[in-house]
Amino acid sequence: MKHRRYFFNENLKIALAELWANKMRSLLTATGIVIGIIAVTLMSTLIAGVDGLFEQSMKFLGKDVVYIEKWPWGGGEEWWTIRNRPEIDMDLADKIAEWSDYALSVAKERGRGADLTYKEMKSEGIFVNGVTANYLDVSTVEVEYGRWFTEPEDRTYSQVILLGYEVAKALFPNEDPLDKEVHMGGQRYLVIGILAQMGKFMGLQNMDTRVVIPFNTFEKNFHSRWGMRRIAVKVPPDHVDEAIEDLRGVMRILRQQKPDEPDNFAVNQQQAFEQQYAMIKYSIGGVGLVITALSLLVGGIGIANIMFVSVKERTREIGVRKALGAKKRHIKGQFLIEAVVITGVAGVVGLLIAAGLSWVVNEFVFPARMSFFVAFMAIALSVIVGVVAGWTPARQAANLDPIESLRYE
Amino acid sequence: MSDTHTKTATTATARPDSDMLILVKDLYKIYELGHTEVRALDGVSLNIEKNEYVSIMGPSGSGKSTLMNLIGCLDTPTKGEYFLDDINVAHMSDDELAAVRNRKIGFVFQTFNLLPKSTSLRNVELPLIYNGGIPADARRSLAEEALRRVGLESRMLHKPNELSGGQRQRVAVARALVNNPAIILADEPTGNLDSKTGEEIMTLFDELHAAGNTIILVTHEEHIALHANRTIRLLDGKIATDVRNGDRLKG
Repeated sequence: MKHRRYFFNENLKIALAELWANKMRSLLTATGIVIGIIAVTLMSTLIAGVDGLFEQSMKFLGKDVVYIEKWPWGGGEEWWTIRNRPEIDMDLADKIAEWSDYALSVAKERGRGADLTYKEMKSEGIFVNGVTANYLDVSTVEVEYGRWFTEPEDRTYSQVILLGYEVAKALFPNEDPLDKEVHMGGQRYLVIGILAQMGKFMGLQNMDTRVVIPFNTFEKNFHSRWGMRRIAVKVPPDHVDEAIEDLRGVMRILRQQKPDEPDNFAVNQQQAFEQQYAMIKYSIGGVGLVITALSLLVGGIGIANIMFVSVKERTREIGVRKALGAKKRHIKGQFLIEAVVITGVAGVVGLLIAAGLSWVVNEFVFPARMSFFVAFMAIALSVIVGVVAGWTPARQAANLDPIESLRYE
Repeated sequence: MSDTHTKTATTATARPDSDMLILVKDLYKIYELGHTEVRALDGVSLNIEKNEYVSIMGPSGSGKSTLMNLIGCLDTPTKGEYFLDDINVAHMSDDELAAVRNRKIGFVFQTFNLLPKSTSLRNVELPLIYNGGIPADARRSLAEEALRRVGLESRMLHKPNELSGGQRQRVAVARALVNNPAIILADEPTGNLDSKTGEEIMTLFDELHAAGNTIILVTHEEHIALHANRTIRLLDGKIATDVRNGDRLKG
């Protein structure tokens, strides 16, 4: 063991000196490995980041909530067919609550963009949610400060509003927003509550830049049929699949669809997202793996090639070393370590570049942190490539005949 | 030292003798080239004692190089026995031979064979690296000592391309000495040097011999061979003559 380390150290010195002497050649040879390592680490890091983001976003939806909408989440049908579906009639909500055994709570939800002002302060591009009072049953929204509105307030078209965390911060930097009046679409609303901070949905849609008003107030003040509209149904968590089937049946009856007609609505659930997400994730991962495998293969061939050249160039040196007492394993070790040092350095360089890119993504796109496991695997992978690529040239060097090698010009 | 007396090679005894450093008995090296058989060595027997100074001569094709490779443990014979310092090395594996070369033989080559990118010190340290884990500082001081012995204390950190031919060969001699080998095996050590530098190197060998080293010179130059006190001439794979040189040429 002591001897092994002794020769490892000696061979490492030789390898580093050799690399230094052939800087340009080593650099060019290592490029393929660098690219491969960047591909694999960056891909893993991004997927891990998107995973975390997805998990967090799925919490907004809730496992036991089913959404009846015009557009399916998973995609699949043709855009044009879906485009021609009738809009969801929000009045169906009451019938669904009445007819479906699985509907524990049925909330109506509409939404659109608007601008909000308070005195000279203005908040543009705010998402206005019009929801029924029981919306709290079907969403993870929480009131941080103040209160939620009541069912009677909804029924009587009350001009009350709850502000998202960032909206409140933007409009009321130095004031208590509660009981203040804000303006939106030519209407005045009384602030009754501030929503707890939620973060972004899928890293894109900021859930804290929205405001919530009662559903009927929304219907009264915003006449257009545009914008988001859906019926959110809370179902028993153990019977989600049955509930979806039941709701489909109820909807088909309510819409008087013929038996051979396809659904002209969508019953959406978190699962649909998960399936689609998994597909995207695996395609990204697959592409990443192919890029990695290809660049490592090409890189590995490059390393093997340069090692063959190195063995050829240093035939005489090998002869001298053998004459002076180097055994096969010493020579083999020397060239293997040289190959591993090239790929190892390439691995570290690739890792550093990938870490830099991850940092950029983390700062500006979405949370993505390279794990120690990924870093470790990347280094292990480059070492493996080095051993595999260096094996045959090293064995060739080890088996050289000392007499012929000494004569080699 | 007035008269030159000749004696034939002593017949090899079957048992190794402790005074004998090299004991070669009926050594054959036969190459099969298609259907023809080339006998590079055709039954060579010879003994070399400790602190002998032997030159091996012969025209090309005489088997001189083959004998040198066998004595140097770079090659194994087709048949025959070879005891080096009481060890039978004739049938050893490559790695066992490597260990014997490392501990018993110091090579000096015609073309120096120094590692071009390494300093004199690193070059001289090389045999010590393969000698079972001598710590780096001990290696360094041994290499420094060897370089001092060949008079290169001021060139330790120079690389071969910063040295003259004679200095390079001195580094090679230091490398051959550093492991304190049983024999120093020099293959045409002056072949790539001008005659003056060559004589200087031969003086160095004479000094090493005087200090107790066993030296085997392979050469085709008579005046170089005359430095040795015994000359073995090969012809057609056999020993033609084996003579003691009465009046050794002094450098």
